[in-house]
Amino acid sequence: MKNRLKVLRAERDWSQQALADRLEVSRQSVNAIETGRYDPSLPLAFRIADVFGMPIEAIFLRD
Amino acid sequence: MTGTKEKTTGRTARFWAGLLLGTLGAIAGLALSGAIDADTALVLMLVPVIQTIPLMRAAGRHRDGTAGGLCGKGEAQKRYTKRVALFTALYLLSFGILTFATTEGDPAFALRSVLAVLPGLAVIGIFWAVGRLIIEEQDEFIRMLVVRQSLIATGIALSAATVWGFLETADVVPHLDAYWVAVAWFLGLFAGAVSNRIEYGSWGAV
Repeated sequence: MKNRLKVLRAERDWSQQALADRLEVSRQSVNAIETGRYDPSLPLAFRIADVFGMPIEAIFLRD
Repeated sequence: MTGTKEKTTGRTARFWAGLLLGTLGAIAGLALSGAIDADTALVLMLVPVIQTIPLMRAAGRHRDGTAGGLCGKGEAQKRYTKRVALFTALYLLSFGILTFATTEGDPAFALRSVLAVLPGLAVIGIFWAVGRLIIEEQDEFIRMLVVRQSLIATGIALSAATVWGFLETADVVPHLDAYWVAVAWFLGLFAGAVSNRIEYGSWGAV
């Protein structure tokens, strides 16, 4: 699954660690999601959407 | 405690990996040359197992560029490390008592049985610690890595035990005591961590 995490993070000038802190996950998790190595669970995807204030489908895209 | 941690955090992953491989090579060399017996080799094999902890920490620091733990977060990982340290100490103690009792004397069957069960219980404690880490870890990605690592270790240990068993039946290899399956599992955890690093870019937490 593709996602716009890196772009959205860059727009806010957040580091991976800063986003990880907001999501209460490890920086490795953010990195794995961002690089498409790991697809988050639905609860974590909702948390990501809440942090960016956007709907899930605006962040995660179909392949 | 703090001083020890500072000393540990000062070393690089390359240093710990070299030390681990050197230790494995030294133990294998001593065992193959007959300088140490199987019991001694088993006790010494705990050293490289323990060395994987600072190795993972150093690798995690290298990736993070921070002085944090294995994966930045980690109350569950801290509890896991403490539990493994406790059960490793209990294992060394109980195995030492068992070795001393059987070499220096001839304890009764009941006492010998109890002493022989204790090291096994300590190793079960380490398995339990891994299980608790999977339950307590709040980070789903890290939890997935630990599960994956454990499954790889289990696959390696069971496969090795099965193949060795048939080779032993055919008199191709010498007899090995069953507890070597646990040693194979711990080495499998290292293989699992390497697989995680390659597949997901992170070593995991064990």
